[in-house]
Amino acid sequence: MSMPNARAYKKAAWIFLVIYLICILVPIAITVAWAFTDYWPWPSLFPLGFSTRGLAEIFNSYSPVGGILLQSIFIALAVSFLAVVIAALSARALVHHDFFGKELFRFTTILPFLIPVTVFAMGVQVAFIRMGLANTVVGVIIAHTIVALPYATVIITDVTAATGARLEEQARVLGADKLQTLAHVTVPSLLPGILSAASMSYILSFSQYFLTLLIGGGTVKTFAVVMFPFLASGDRTIASAYGLVFLGVTFIVFLLFESILKRLGMREHQSFFS
Amino acid sequence: METKNGVFFSRRTFIALAGIAGCTALTSGSLVGCGSGKENVPAVAAFDPADWDALLEEANGQTVTFYGWGGDENRNEWLDTVVAETLKDKYGITLERVPMNINDILTKLSGEIQADVADGSIDFIWINGENFYSAKDNGYLYGPFTEYLPNFVSYVDAASAEVSYDFGEPVEGYEAPYGKAQMLLWVDAAKTPDMPTDAEKFLAFCKEHPGQVTYPAAGDFTGTAFISCLIAAVIGKEEFEKLTKIEADIDKIKEIIEPGLEYLRSLNPYLWQEGKTFPADSGTVSQMFADGELVLNMGYSTPQLDMDNGVIPATVRPFLLDNGTVGNTNFMAIAKNASHKAAAMVAINEILSPEIQASQYEMLTTITVLDTDKLDSEQKAAFDDVVLGDGSLPLDEMLSKRIAEASGVAVPLIEELWTNEVVGK
Repeated sequence: MSMPNARAYKKAAWIFLVIYLICILVPIAITVAWAFTDYWPWPSLFPLGFSTRGLAEIFNSYSPVGGILLQSIFIALAVSFLAVVIAALSARALVHHDFFGKELFRFTTILPFLIPVTVFAMGVQVAFIRMGLANTVVGVIIAHTIVALPYATVIITDVTAATGARLEEQARVLGADKLQTLAHVTVPSLLPGILSAASMSYILSFSQYFLTLLIGGGTVKTFAVVMFPFLASGDRTIASAYGLVFLGVTFIVFLLFESILKRLGMREHQSFFS
Repeated sequence: METKNGVFFSRRTFIALAGIAGCTALTSGSLVGCGSGKENVPAVAAFDPADWDALLEEANGQTVTFYGWGGDENRNEWLDTVVAETLKDKYGITLERVPMNINDILTKLSGEIQADVADGSIDFIWINGENFYSAKDNGYLYGPFTEYLPNFVSYVDAASAEVSYDFGEPVEGYEAPYGKAQMLLWVDAAKTPDMPTDAEKFLAFCKEHPGQVTYPAAGDFTGTAFISCLIAAVIGKEEFEKLTKIEADIDKIKEIIEPGLEYLRSLNPYLWQEGKTFPADSGTVSQMFADGELVLNMGYSTPQLDMDNGVIPATVRPFLLDNGTVGNTNFMAIAKNASHKAAAMVAINEILSPEIQASQYEMLTTITVLDTDKLDSEQKAAFDDVVLGDGSLPLDEMLSKRIAEASGVAVPLIEELWTNEVVGK
């Protein structure tokens, strides 16, 4: 009875997988092709003019991109760290504790969702100028963190609620102190949520254009700030080349995230049995 | 070129945004009142723009920021190499180019000024048209300063309409000219050897290539300028230039350009999508031309650099309309709260030197803002010796077929008339 059904499900799953891969891979393939192409007129199926103009523009000698790229990665990593820590603490408060004004607090954690980044950026700019944070890396990190926080909070709140407090209570009952519980039970059980929230915050910060521009004021240059004018001007070769570097760097950082967190998880797994 | 952005940011939006920033400044001012007091002290105690030697001395060692559109890799390279190196070697000034769209620049500038920042991060700006008008009107610019620039005094014809007016707005020394732009049309001569140089030929050209001709919608800078060119092709240069000095009266403007609107409607059936819709910006039209979907393209810069880069075929040839094409000047202005006004003035002065202007013409085919009659024979030769490629037109031919752009107040009304009476009609 169940056999034909299972086969049909499997077939459907395969079809969806293929459609999914096409949706993801074809645009990437076209980006790769355009990054090395100057001329690709209709109706030719393949690019006609091979070109390294895009990469030459990125890695030119007169305005080095390496420092900008490192700075962007640093800012984005700082943002993911801050966002994850603050979000995890907020999530804990929201899930495990009752306090006066809890619903108002829950609402304020998603407040940045409701305000368009452009409006938010202009207000923050004026406030940051007064506080002396404008045109500084710290200012940019704080502004990005505010944008990333609601995403991180929502993700980690869900995971915190799903995990519950039972494992922690059990650890405490078995004699673990607070720090041990945090390190060996709480953080490992939240790892999947932390990974998603960190990745989300990273990409939000790394791709932030207008906010960076306003707060960083051109003195804090990030990859997105340098890349955007080419996207806007419609130069496909240069825009694709920038896109490719963007994609590659993000991919490498995500791989690092995964491997670090996996190693943490593995360690816990082993220590559990030893 | 940079002026492409100009249109996306109407004065009304700008004032609205400035208002929002202002309100925020008030509220956050009461919340975070501390720290603003000390920032009110001017960065430069005694700044005398008339003392050029003192200016040079002060500028030495300064890092000056130049904010402007950064979507043209050739201009970026030119600024980062030729201009930056000259400033470093001659005056010890470090030029920091900050690529930003003009609307973002003005938002940032208005935010800083609302917050009373005396040592602003923006030193000088690439600007013109409506954006210049709103920035000057709001008191965001420093000036007048051009009268203190030696090269401006020696080589620029300050009285000429293209230097003393910017889209109908008197410049009054608040910005110095940077380069001149003029609309060009181009086709791939290998595919379509005939160049439609007047209104009649252009209609015939569209009929011959149905669905393969279009132009960016009004509102895009290039789109509005091309519409202006076609209107001028119908009503004549003299009649069109009435629009340079006209008050914001839509009926009067309509009266002048009605034959042009009629002509634009007659083109529609033969255009891409039968003129029911138009591409939103010139970047899209350029891509469609590069892809072979369109047989004609137009723009404020020559197709030369795209041809050299292999983005479009080497057989592309530019041309002008017999009645002329519209042109404008783009400018450099100094922010009111610039931290390095001395270095900004020295840099602007250097960009106005015959050497840099000749280099701009050679590398970017940008028309010079200098009065060539004021140059000596050697300086003149630097311009005459530039070997133009097939994608460029000789300077004297361009200047002989040049129409002044409609005024800043007329442009939005022309765009409105086009939107209401041409699209899909």
